[in-house]
Order: sequence, then structure tokens, then C-alpha cells
Amino acid sequence: MVWISLLLLSFNLLAKELPKFLTKHSTESIRFITLDGRYAYVQKRQGVLGLVSSFRSVDFISDHSQSDFIIKDSRFKQRLAIEIIPNEQKEFNLLKNHKIVVVDWGKTQTREVGMGRVSKLHLEDEWISFYNPLEKVISLKNILTQRQYQIKLSSKTSPYFFPEVEMISADTVVYTDTNEKGYIALIQYNLVTQKSNVLYKSSQNGTRLELCQDKGYMAIGEFPFDDIARSSKILQIKLTGTTNLAGYSTIYSSTDSDLGNMICLENSIYFIKTLVHLKKINSKQTEAVKLDLKTTLVSTVTDLGTVTQLVAMDGRILVPFRGDYHVLEGAANLTDDKLKSPLPGDEELPLDL
Amino acid sequence: MKTSPPFWPNQYYKKLGTALTGLCLSFYVNAQTTPLPTPASVEYPGIIESLEKLIQIDNTKFAKKNDLLIKSGKLGNDLTSVTALDIDPDYLNSIILHSDPGYVKLASSNKCQFYSSIINDLLRNSEGKLKNVFVTFVNKNKERDSAILLKKDFINKVASLECPETAKLIDQFQVKNLDTTISSANFDAPTGKDQCHNTYLEWLNNSKTPYFCKLHEFMKEAQTKAGDPKDLVQRQAISAILQKKLNANQRDYLENICENLDHEELFCEEFLNVSFWSKVANGTQNKIYIEDICEKVLNTKSLNDLQLKQCVSKIRKENDLCLYPGGRNQGLVPAPQCDTLATALNFSSLRADYKDCPASNDQQAVTNVSRLLLNISKEKIAPMNGPCSVISSAVAFEFNKRFDNDENWKLEACFDDALADKEVCYKTFFGGYGNIEESYNVVVANILRKTRGADESLKCEMIDSEDYNSLLLQYKSGCFIIYERNRCFTSECKHRILYNDRVIDFIKLKNRVLLDYFATNIIDEKFSQHYLLTHDYRQNGRIMSNMGAINAFFKKNKAAIVHGVGCAEDLLPSFFKTRAFNQCTPMPFIIDGLIRENDKTSFVTRSAVDTLQAPRIISWSLIYSAVKSYQRSHPLRLWTLYGLD
Repeated sequence: MVWISLLLLSFNLLAKELPKFLTKHSTESIRFITLDGRYAYVQKRQGVLGLVSSFRSVDFISDHSQSDFIIKDSRFKQRLAIEIIPNEQKEFNLLKNHKIVVVDWGKTQTREVGMGRVSKLHLEDEWISFYNPLEKVISLKNILTQRQYQIKLSSKTSPYFFPEVEMISADTVVYTDTNEKGYIALIQYNLVTQKSNVLYKSSQNGTRLELCQDKGYMAIGEFPFDDIARSSKILQIKLTGTTNLAGYSTIYSSTDSDLGNMICLENSIYFIKTLVHLKKINSKQTEAVKLDLKTTLVSTVTDLGTVTQLVAMDGRILVPFRGDYHVLEGAANLTDDKLKSPLPGDEELPLDL
Repeated sequence: MKTSPPFWPNQYYKKLGTALTGLCLSFYVNAQTTPLPTPASVEYPGIIESLEKLIQIDNTKFAKKNDLLIKSGKLGNDLTSVTALDIDPDYLNSIILHSDPGYVKLASSNKCQFYSSIINDLLRNSEGKLKNVFVTFVNKNKERDSAILLKKDFINKVASLECPETAKLIDQFQVKNLDTTISSANFDAPTGKDQCHNTYLEWLNNSKTPYFCKLHEFMKEAQTKAGDPKDLVQRQAISAILQKKLNANQRDYLENICENLDHEELFCEEFLNVSFWSKVANGTQNKIYIEDICEKVLNTKSLNDLQLKQCVSKIRKENDLCLYPGGRNQGLVPAPQCDTLATALNFSSLRADYKDCPASNDQQAVTNVSRLLLNISKEKIAPMNGPCSVISSAVAFEFNKRFDNDENWKLEACFDDALADKEVCYKTFFGGYGNIEESYNVVVANILRKTRGADESLKCEMIDSEDYNSLLLQYKSGCFIIYERNRCFTSECKHRILYNDRVIDFIKLKNRVLLDYFATNIIDEKFSQHYLLTHDYRQNGRIMSNMGAINAFFKKNKAAIVHGVGCAEDLLPSFFKTRAFNQCTPMPFIIDGLIRENDKTSFVTRSAVDTLQAPRIISWSLIYSAVKSYQRSHPLRLWTLYGLD
């Protein structure tokens, strides 16, 4: 209790006006841009994805099904996962599987991975996980060896449940699963022995678990859905090179129904906190906050009123807000006209004709 | 063991007592006599003990005064020459201590309301119902004196004279005049907090309220078999007559106001919140809203009236029971908590008397459009066969067909026609709905007639694989389409066809149901669902670009409907996490009500993956962000939020 009181006392407001994210390209078309702006993956039009660098531009994915694209990186910066979403504007389907491919960082050579959603790169970007909501199966694939494992979730999970997955080592994975009563659990699974054990089971239903990882730790955030009156907390498991995940410590706890949507960094975790909640009309004031892992101090870093999501892209932390992106970390203005030379070893991009 | 007197003071006692004492002082300032003496021996270890003592003192005092007045023959036979006639203050104290605080509050509105409360037996003293009334007055010798009046005499000699409306009111509430009286009363449920506050004050100050509450108390006593058992049968018979004159809604309304006269919040909560469940329990709202919840709560598939009431009672007590409903009508879970859901449903106007199983639909545009169409047309739900998403599929298909857009419904069932030496395809949707010839079971039967010489009367039936048993004789002949419920959607459906116990595998399904909700290019604009709705179907579409516009739209028409498409990550941020830059999952949704609290406004909203019976309350900020973000990713950068009227 003392700890919680201290935490509350330490909650302070450091919000300042955040700069908007500016690029030379129209931000609507960008699907991924590096921190220095040297490489940008751009959706040229529906079904066409191109890579634009200082001197060259190449369209490297093109299809006829009016696809849209989303691109994800990881802290390892070795590869990018690209999800190709077919008929984005004509087939409104949350259970639709996307075609997943990977490219090496800043390159255009694609490697097919499989069909699914919520892809995520792991372990120096040598592994990728994705989920097939129709089959309720998590796939884990080694990009180099093509070795693939599958984990079947409980058949009683709701149709729109999407699990969180983190790989701890080449044979240890943790993922979330839920039962029909809405109690969520974190499960550790050994890919080799196919044995699993429950690391954490929520004591309250109506909540979800989020996972994120950075150097030396994995964070587990438990946050309520929508307006359900539940508490929120963030747990931390120190990763010490072993696969023993038994012990965790609580680094944040609140009776507020926080939104979560965590982003893990080496020394801090960004997430969205509910500051005011008018339950009757389900109106919330939500802001991005930064949890310092050393001091467990929580500081508010936005003053926008209704922050709902946070996006990490090559070390840049962005806050999408009413059609714009505001920058929390990393350079905000990439509009300078200086052409950056290709890095040594970069592939030669053909001219975009 | 100590026993509590009737209407034992609750936590509001102190406040009420103070208020009423003050009120009595102001009304009857001339009637003050020696205050109630406190015996020297009484100790007050705590507030409960002191209240008990007060009651005890009051009882003694009341009995003594009653005896004294009767013995001294002060029966108030002649009050014509007296002045400053008032109610005895000790008598008032006794009423305050023994009456329902709600009726005390009603009685304290004004003098006539107080008299009416006495006339209608709403107040109590230490003896229970008031049989007589103690009054004080200044007699002809200019001395303050007291008398005891029979209640009947009090009505005739005091109440009727001081409140001339009394006789008229009594007449209006005679059984023969009740119909007219009831029909002239306003039992409309308030729809907002401010309106409810005004409604509450109107009832509190309405001179008919004590009489209406008498009706409520009369029916309650008869139902609970309270009161004198000698005349119970007679009272129950009168109660039955009263119940026929008041409909269920009016009875509930009276119960709410009469039981909550001193609790404005509870009175309003009944209308603005949990009362939705009461409406379901008393049959004024469709029980479809609660069926899937109760299926899980009571572990039963059909609900009788008793079970329905048991379920409602549980839902009111356990707010989380609405989170994960049971049944086949699955959607996005968790649904809202019961109190939030009740509030949302109270402000919702979208038709929801059918189940469209959104999780069984892989084209949310179809779910949303069919919800709009069925809300506008009010057409009956036709007999259906197969997955319950067939309602949405069939309604959306028929709509597109009616306006010559079935060309863009690409899902087809095909077979090789050996005679014509070509592939023949029929437009279709999975399931059977009414007499629509594109129903998959009808299409399959047609193909079997053409390829297997099946009889003209052949009908194919869609069977849930969980209900299918290959050993049963009924499946040995005829045509059956065995589908897997969890894998049967609008665009694809995992199934197999059996015709006379043989597998039919030559029917190939082609394409998917792809539709533009809003136009994605200029050339095909007229094929978008929004265009068809607003041009061909002639619904007036008004762009809703700010909260002012949407407020004005709902102000003009409370049953208005707004539809749109926004990014799911902004609309429902706790369900859908943004994991990449410019990620936007388009999600159609319908807004069908608004809720205001102070200067804030939220909207009753159903995303296309929410069940019809479980709308959510979503703030304008989230709705605006969702549409704004979708505008970024839309090929024509359209603003996609429109009112339909």
C-alpha cells in the first residue's frame, strides 16, 4: 500500500506541446520510414508498395486486389514484416488473413512467410509469429531455416480475440489465451517439448494482457476492455538468459481503467493512462504516460485529451491523433532537402520509371 | 431482541428529521406547545439507541395524549368558533418518526399535500394508519387548546375547508372516474437527466400524487397480503380492477415514483439506467435483449416468465453478467457491463428484434447495411435456414438486386453443364431466407435438378454439423447441406452437400462478397452501398462533420440513424491495437442515440461486429478520430459519416 501511495505521489505532469510528424512524402502514403528518413516504404496506390530512398524509388509489391499494406519492425532492425491486406476497401472482415512477407531492413527482396494477422518479429528478427483467427492457430516460423511451429488456442476463445506473443528463446515462447468466461492467462510454451505452463492468470475477467520486450526484460500489462471497471497493472519479468519466467514484480498498479497499448523501451515503458472517466457517458480523458523502470515514476507526456494509440517505428514513438501523428521520441521533421547517400552495402535500387 | 418500528429511520433519517422539523416549525409556528421532555434517566450511548429512545418516548407521549383527549371529551365536535387551527406538534413528531420518509417528503410539499397524504393513508403514527388527528387551536376564550378528531371529521371539517380542491380530487379517484383520471395523467418516461429532474419535481408537487400513491399502496398491500386479513379478499378484488385500469407501464411508473419520492436519483435511474431490464421483465421491451445473457446466467435456452424475472434480478445485482453472453449470436466481447448496457439501450432506437450473428459474417459491410435496411423498412424477418448471418446476407443481396447491383455480388455457385459444354454459375448467399431464389439451398437444389435429374419438389436443407447425425434415417434421403457453424460466413462457408446419402462435390464456389461501402473511385461511385441508400433507396443522407451537426440531427428526430466507417483502432482502442504506422482496419458502424451529461455528449453506437442487442456508449472524440483516421486511408479521402432520414 505504501508503495502504491508513493507511486501516486510520484505521478506528475510533464506534458508539453508535441511536434507533428512531417515528412517529404505525404504521411498518408507512408507505411514505414526509418528514423533518419533515409528509407521510406510507401504505398503508391492501392495494391502497390514501393521503397523510396534519397536517389531511387522502386515498386516491389504490386497486385490486382487493391491491397493495403502495414509494415512492422523490431528493435533488432534486421528485417521488416509486411502484411498485405487484400481488398482493404471492399471486404470489411476482421477475421481475414493477410499475406505476410518479410524483407531485409531497407531492402526489397521479399520472402513469403504465410497467411495470418498480427505478425511480429522476434529474436534478432530471425523468427516471426502470426495468428490465423479462423483456425485459432499461432504460427512461429524461423525465417532462415523455414522451421515452423504451431500452437492451437482454446476453441472457446471469442472470434475476435487476437493473442499476444513474445519469444524468449529459440524454444520458449509466451502467449496469451482466454476462456469463455473472459479470464485471460499468460502461457509459457516449449516448442521442442510441446509442454506448457501458466505463468499468470488474471483474477478478474474483462481484461486483456499485453506483452512487450526490450533489453533484459519482458513487460506484461493487464488492462480492462472498454469501459469495464477494472484495475490496471504492469508486471515485469527480468530475462537473465534462462527460460525461467517464474518470478515477476509489479512495477505499476492503478485502480483506474487504463487503456494500455504499451511500448517497451530499454529504460521505460510508454502506455496510455486514463486520467478522468465519466462512466455514465463512457467519456475518458486519456494521455500517454512514461513509466521509468528505475524509479517507477509515471509522468504524463501528452496533453491531447484523448490519446488512444501509440506507435513505435524505428525508435521513433508516435501518437496518432485525429488524423495527424505527434512525435514523442525521435526527430519530428524529416522535410530537409539534403539527400542522404546510400549506406555501404545497400542494394542498388532501379530507377522508378 | 429489539424490534424496529415500521419505517425504521434509515441513513437519511437525520437529514429528513431535521428538514421536516424545520418545515413543521415554519408551517405550524403558532401551534408550538411545550417541547417533548426528555426523561433525565435516559442515556444516549449512540445514535441508534437515541432514536430508539425517541420512538419509545413518542409512543408513551402519544398514548398519554390520546387518553387525555378522549377522557376529557375533547372530540372537536364544534370547531366553528376556533381560530389558528393547526396539527398538534407532538402528533407531527409521531408522523415523522413512523412514516415512510418518501411520503413525509411528499406531505411536506405544502399543507394540502399533507392533508391529502393523511386522507390517502400514506402517513403513519405510533399506532400505524392514522385513525384520528390531533389538532390545536385557540378557543373562544383566547386560550390554546387541543382536540382529537376522527379522520373522517378532519377531512370534512378541516381539509375540505382549507383545501377546496380536496372533494374534486376524491371524486376523480373514484373507481368509476379512474379511466379519465389515468388517461389525463402523464406517464411518459423522461429521456434525459434534466427532464427527469423536472418530472420528479412535478410529481412531488402534483396534488394528485398522494391519490396515485394510494392506488400503488392498495395494489401492493393486496399483492403482499398485508393489512387486515378479514377484508383481504375484497381488497384483492378491488386491486384486480385497479390493475386492469392501469397498464404494466403505468403501474411500474407509479411504483417508481411512490417508492422513490425522497430519492430523485433512484427515480431517474429507473428511467435512465437499469429500468431497461425492468421493461424487459414486464414485457414492454423485447426479451431478445436478455436471452443470450440469461442463457449463460441460468444455463437454459428458453426462458419462462419466472426465469426471466429471476435473470433480471440477477443482472441488476451483478453488473458483470452482461459481459460474455451465451448462445450462437456471437459478437465482439466483452459486451458492456449491465448498467452501461441498460443506459445505452434506453437511448437506442435501432431495430433489434432479430439476431444477426455478426461474428458469423465475414463482410461487415453486409451486417451494417442490412441493419440499416431492416430498421428503415420494418419488414418482417422471413423464415430462415442455416447460419443466422443469412438474415444480413439475404437482406443486403436483395437490396443490391433491387437496384441492379447484384452484378457486383460476386459470390457464385458453379457447375459444368455437360449439355451446353460450359460452366454455369448462379449468384448466391449461404443459407435459406424466405423465397429468395439465390438462397444457397435453393441454388443447390436447382443444380441437382439440372445435373442429377432431381425432382422438381426437391428442397435442400442446411444443417448445423453439430446437429447432424449420419446414423439417423431422416438424413438417408433428400438433400442436406451440412455446414460448420463456426466456419460458415457470408463469403465462404465450410460445408458438404449430401444428396440421397451421397456426397456432391462438383459444385464449385467462386469469388467473395466484395462491396464498396462508400465509393472508392469516381467511376464506380453509383455501386457503393451509401450511394444506393441515398440515391436509389431515396434516404436523405446528411454529412455529419462535427458534433453540432449530429446533435442537431438527433434533436430534430430522436429515432434518427447515423452510419459511417471509421478505423477500428480509434473507435474501439481497447479491442484493436495499432501495431504499425498508418494501420487502419475499416469498421462500419451505426449511431442511434445520444447521451448528454453536463456539457459532454456520447453516442449509442454499434460497430458491425457488436451484436444488435449490445450497443456501446462511445464518445464523440473517439468517433471523430475513427472517421478522421479512415479519411487518411480512404482512396478518395472521403468523410464517411452520414445521417439518414
